[in-house]
Amino acid sequence: MPRTYEDETREVESSGSAARSGLPASRPAIALSYVILLVGVAIALVPFLYVVSTSLKETTSLFSYPPDWIPSPIYWGNFESLFADHPFVWWTFNTLFVAGTVTVLKLWFDTMAGYALAKMEFTGRRGVALLFLLSVAIPISALIIPLFFVVRYLGLLNTYWALILPPLANPLGIFMARSFIVGIPDNLEDSARLDGASEFTIYRKIVLPLIRPGLVVLGMFTFMLQYTSFIWPLIAVQDSERQVLAVGISGLQSAFLQDWGLLSAAMLLAAIPITLVFLLVQKAFVVNDLSGALKE
Amino acid sequence: MPALSPPSDVAVSLIQVAKSYGAVEVLHPFELQVAEGEFVVLLGPSGCGKSTILKMIAGLEEASHGEIHVAGELVNYVRPRDRNVAMVFQNYALYPHMTVRENIAFPLKMSRQPRLKRAVIDERTAEAADIVDLTPYLGRKPAQLSGGQRQRVALARAIVRQPAVFLMDEPLSNLDALLRADMRTSLLDVHARIKKATLYVTHDQIEAMTMADRVVVINAGRIQQIGQPHELYTAPANTFVAQFIGSPRMPLHSLTVSDDGALRIADATLALDPAVVLEPGATVTVGLRPSALRATTSGSACFFGEARRRDYLGSDSYLEVDLGDGASAMVRAEADAEVRPGDIVHVDAAPGAIHVFDEAGVRICGASVGQREQ
Repeated sequence: MPRTYEDETREVESSGSAARSGLPASRPAIALSYVILLVGVAIALVPFLYVVSTSLKETTSLFSYPPDWIPSPIYWGNFESLFADHPFVWWTFNTLFVAGTVTVLKLWFDTMAGYALAKMEFTGRRGVALLFLLSVAIPISALIIPLFFVVRYLGLLNTYWALILPPLANPLGIFMARSFIVGIPDNLEDSARLDGASEFTIYRKIVLPLIRPGLVVLGMFTFMLQYTSFIWPLIAVQDSERQVLAVGISGLQSAFLQDWGLLSAAMLLAAIPITLVFLLVQKAFVVNDLSGALKE
Repeated sequence: MPALSPPSDVAVSLIQVAKSYGAVEVLHPFELQVAEGEFVVLLGPSGCGKSTILKMIAGLEEASHGEIHVAGELVNYVRPRDRNVAMVFQNYALYPHMTVRENIAFPLKMSRQPRLKRAVIDERTAEAADIVDLTPYLGRKPAQLSGGQRQRVALARAIVRQPAVFLMDEPLSNLDALLRADMRTSLLDVHARIKKATLYVTHDQIEAMTMADRVVVINAGRIQQIGQPHELYTAPANTFVAQFIGSPRMPLHSLTVSDDGALRIADATLALDPAVVLEPGATVTVGLRPSALRATTSGSACFFGEARRRDYLGSDSYLEVDLGDGASAMVRAEADAEVRPGDIVHVDAAPGAIHVFDEAGVRICGASVGQREQ
């Protein structure tokens, strides 16, 4: 009997579920994998739990021996002090604003530059790519002093611009974006071009949706790098209310006073936004799905 | 050079078009005109330059030389999207993140002059989906479709634009044999409905012979012959066309014209067109079309020979027959013919069975068996 289109469709649908079912693992193997995983979780979790515990204790009770894991009574003073005595809310806002802005702008610029380097023919394309690659090799410490003078000359010290503009010039993201885009078959763009799409439409409607998982990785990478950025913000911004979290928190300790409770509370709170961001975008961490675009 | 305007009923006109990459000439200058509603197949082996011709018409490759006219307009310097052509790619080139409906509607959404209203887009999308029987699958993504369905989405995406010319780059080569035969019929049905000029690239001679109004045979960047399928089969312009068209492949034999001007193959003398005079001592090539040679039991056969091999094809068989003097032929026989290797076979040659080519491989004329030495 000849095969119908419906038969083929059923085969396509059933092949997916067949591929997912693997051989069942034996019980001891499962138990062993759980033990290994639990050890890993403990190694990662214990320092974090200690920070939580410390943040809920008074400084005087921190050094009792043996150490108390569960604070009694729970002390909220460290958190109160953070908000009452320090511009912690401003630091958090500044960090989120700067990291968010840098991430959005970088994703935009990096993907456009990556598209040009991956897909467009122009004189000097290799030269430009090589120049970008070379600039990745220059360490930030070598750039800080000239960068400081440039920013001061532009009158941008102590402004958000001072924190936002310099990271945009990091070409690493361009290379990541380029490598995502190179993998998209040329036929898709040719087809879109014939369908009437402009170069920008191809970038926006075809290329960007197809590299979305890669963009999420690049975005998270940029956001985390910016969220924890320390040296440049320390130099570029002196005004306490314009500081970012990393610089603000480091200022909580001085040469003569180490308030571990306060520091732990600050670190704990600082970890919350980035954890939330990570949880929000983790669904997008899926394999880049080009299936169905072309004949495999 | 002033643009030569092709006749108004010509959909595509290629005038002295050539393509080279640096010093490498991949397509030598050629001319081709495709009439409105005509189905032209570009046929040739892989790497012969046939897809490059499509890409030049589409504007995805620039012609190094010559003029390309689409619907009467010179388009050499027109952007692909403004050339009024639609292309179906070998590997579908569907947008995987869009549904079938969105894939088909994409060219309409991109349309600027005039910008189409949503209702018009929906209507034309539904119409195109209906033509290729995809209506039940409009909500699916390409990954949820079979190969044949994906290729039909690509076809619908081309149809929906209502272009002046369809370009199809080996659209069926990724499908299995059964589906390919179905899709061939579907494509011809669609072509009959929309009646637009179509240039279709393939390396499959069966596709070319069954689908084309005219076939353009290309080899190594040069057009070998342009003609109707029947013409290519019965009067191949050269040895390449003679061997490329037809299955089994036509065997060729190099022969020397005897002192009396006669041409002999094995023990048979060939009767040529009276207008053709061969120079004694000249070398010519003779091809024997397998499908026109038939194994018979009669004694008045054109050739004799010893059967070497038998290929059973179901409907009939082909025998490889040694004619003597180093010549051999593939000969058609009944499917149930009881012939074993070593058996003597009588071979009858129908008109159009024998073709004579000159030393350069260009066809001189057809021939028949005049007399046989006893």
